[in-house]
Amino acid sequence: MLRWLDRLEEVLIATLIALATAIIFVAVIHRYSLSGIAGILNWARANDMPWLFDAARQAFNAVRSIKLTWAQELTIYMFIWMAKFGAAYGVRTGIHVGVDVLVNALQPKQRNFFVMFGLLAGALFTVIVGTLGAYFVWELYHTDQVSPDLEWPMWIVYLAMPLGSYLMCFRFLQVAYSFSRTGELPQHDHGHVEGLEEQA
Amino acid sequence: MTAFVIFTLLTALMLTGMPVSIALGLTVLTFLFGFTTVPLESVALKLFTGIEKFEIMAIPFFILAGNFLTHGGVARRMIDFATSMVGHWHGGIALAAVVACALFAAVSGSSPATVAAIGSIILPAMVRQGFPKGFGAGIISTSGALGILIPPSIVMVMYAVATSGATYTGPNGEIVTSASVGDLFMAGVIPGLVLAAMLGSTTMFIAWRKGYPRLDPAGWSERWRAFSRSFWGLALIVVVIGGIYSGAFTPTEAAAMSAVYAFVIAVFVYKDLGWRDVPKVLLQSANMSAMLLYIITNAVLFSFLMTHEGIPQAIAAWMSDAGLGRIGFLMAVNILLLVAGMFMEPSAIMLIFAPILFPVAVALGVDPVHFGIMLVVNMECGMVTPPVGLNLYVTSGIAKMGLTEVTISALPWFYTMLAFLMLVTYWPELSLYLPRALGMM
Repeated sequence: MLRWLDRLEEVLIATLIALATAIIFVAVIHRYSLSGIAGILNWARANDMPWLFDAARQAFNAVRSIKLTWAQELTIYMFIWMAKFGAAYGVRTGIHVGVDVLVNALQPKQRNFFVMFGLLAGALFTVIVGTLGAYFVWELYHTDQVSPDLEWPMWIVYLAMPLGSYLMCFRFLQVAYSFSRTGELPQHDHGHVEGLEEQA
Repeated sequence: MTAFVIFTLLTALMLTGMPVSIALGLTVLTFLFGFTTVPLESVALKLFTGIEKFEIMAIPFFILAGNFLTHGGVARRMIDFATSMVGHWHGGIALAAVVACALFAAVSGSSPATVAAIGSIILPAMVRQGFPKGFGAGIISTSGALGILIPPSIVMVMYAVATSGATYTGPNGEIVTSASVGDLFMAGVIPGLVLAAMLGSTTMFIAWRKGYPRLDPAGWSERWRAFSRSFWGLALIVVVIGGIYSGAFTPTEAAAMSAVYAFVIAVFVYKDLGWRDVPKVLLQSANMSAMLLYIITNAVLFSFLMTHEGIPQAIAAWMSDAGLGRIGFLMAVNILLLVAGMFMEPSAIMLIFAPILFPVAVALGVDPVHFGIMLVVNMECGMVTPPVGLNLYVTSGIAKMGLTEVTISALPWFYTMLAFLMLVTYWPELSLYLPRALGMM
C-alpha cells in the first residue's frame, strides 16, 4: 500500500514536469509554424505559384484551427500540482534543508530533540495549511467558479493544496517515525553527478 | 517592534534546523493567529497564488535543462575544450579548470554539481601533473560558483519573481518597476566574464610564482575538434540568451525550449543518457523544483506579511534618518548578505531579503538590475564561506580534504571574489552596459 503510494507520487510528478515542458514546446512551435506558413504564403503569391499558395493556405488553416490558448493555464496548473506533491516527495528524499550548523554541534541527545522538533513543526505547519486549503476548496465547491481558459471547476484545480499538504504532513510523520526508530534521516546529495563512475 | 518580533521568531525557528520553508511559514502563521487581523482566507489564497505566475515556471524548466546536461560526459567535453584553449598558459590545467567550471556551471545551473563533475575529473589529473591538491581544491570550490552569474541563472529568476508585483517610488518620486528576467540575464554576461577572468588571473599569478607545470600548446585542429564536441552543450546558453534577446521567446518559453533542447542533445547527440535514464532526470528535477517552489510559496507569504507591516518602508525611513546614503546602504547590504550567506542557501536568502531590501534600494536610486546582479554576486560568495558553503562541502568530499583545509585553500580566490563584489557594487555600468547597449532598458 505504502509502496504503491510512493510509486504513484513519483510517477505523478515526473509525468507532470515532462508534460508541462512538452506543452510549452508545442505551443511555441505552433506559434512559429503559423508565421512560417504565412511567410510561405506571401512568397508563393509573390512568385505566382498557385499550387504552393493553395497548399500553404490549407496548412495555415489547419494549424490555425488548433487552439492552444489554454496551454499556459494548463502548464501553471500542472506545475502547481507538481510543486505540491513534489514538496511531499522532497520530505522523503530529505531535500528540504534548514540551517543545521548549530544543531549539529550539539550533543546527540539535544540534537535528536531538535531534529524531532523540526519534523513535528513541519507536520504541524502542513496540517494547518492543508486544513486551510480544504476549507478554501470547500468554499469554492459551493460556487461555480471556473478557470478562465480551460473552464475547469476551480475547486478541482485547487484540490492540490489540501491533498499535497496532507501528504506532506504524512511524510513528515513518516520520517519522524523512522528517525525515532533508527536515528537516521533521509539525505539529499547535492553534488551527485551521473557518468563519473568510469573515471574513478 | 513588530519587525523585531518577526525576525526573532524567524531566526529562532531557523536555528532549530527545520527546513527554511517551514520556518518561514510557521513565522507567518504564528503572527497571523496572534498579532494581526488579516483574514485567514487571504492567506490561504496567497499560499496558492504564490506560485501561480507564468514567470516562476522558468525555474523548473531551467532545472530540467540543467539536469539533462549535468553529466560526466558533458563535463569531460568542457574540460577538453578548456584545456586545448588555455592549457599552454601559466597555470596550465589549473587555468583550464577555471574555464571549464565557468562553462559547465553556466549550462548545468548548479554550483555543487559543477564542483562534483569538473572536480572529480580534473583534480586527479592535476595531482598527477604535480599540482598541490589544495591548489586544485581552491580553484574548483570557487569557480564552481560562477554559474549563477552566467545566464541561464535560477537565482536571477528568483530575484525577478521576489521583487515583482509591486511598484516602488524612486528618490525623485518616479515609478520604478522590478527588473525583468531578460535584463538580468543580459546584465550578468559581462560581470560573469570579468569574474572568470579575475579568478583565472589569480590562478595564473600563483602558478607563475610557484612555477607550476604548463601543457604543450594544442594544435588548431585539436582545438576545433574539442570545440565542436562541446559546442552542442554551450549552444544552450545561445538558445536562452538569443531567444530572449530577439524577442522570440519569453524567459519561461526560453526555459522550456532549452529543456527540450538539452533533452535532445543528451539523448540523441551526446548519447550520455539513454531513454531509460530520462524518468530519473525528470524525477530529480521535479524534486529540486518542488523544493524551491515550496520555499517561494512560503517566502511570498512572508514578504506579504513584511509589506503588510510596512517593514521595508520603515527600514527606508530609518536609513535616510541615519544619513546612510547609497554608498553606505550598499555596503550594509553586502555585509548583511555575506553574513547570511555563511548560514543559509542562496535561494532562501534571495527570497527572504530581496523583497525587504529592494524598496529601500529603489528609494535610494539604485538601479533594480544593478542591485540584482550585486545580490547574485553576494550569493556566489556565500557558497564558499563556512560553516554552510555547499561548494566547500562537495569539494572536501571529492578532494578527501577537511572542510577547514579546503576553506583555507580557497582563500586567494575568495579574496578575488570579494574584490569583484566591490567592483560590481560601486560600478553599476559594469552590469548595466550590455542591456543598455542592446536597447533592452
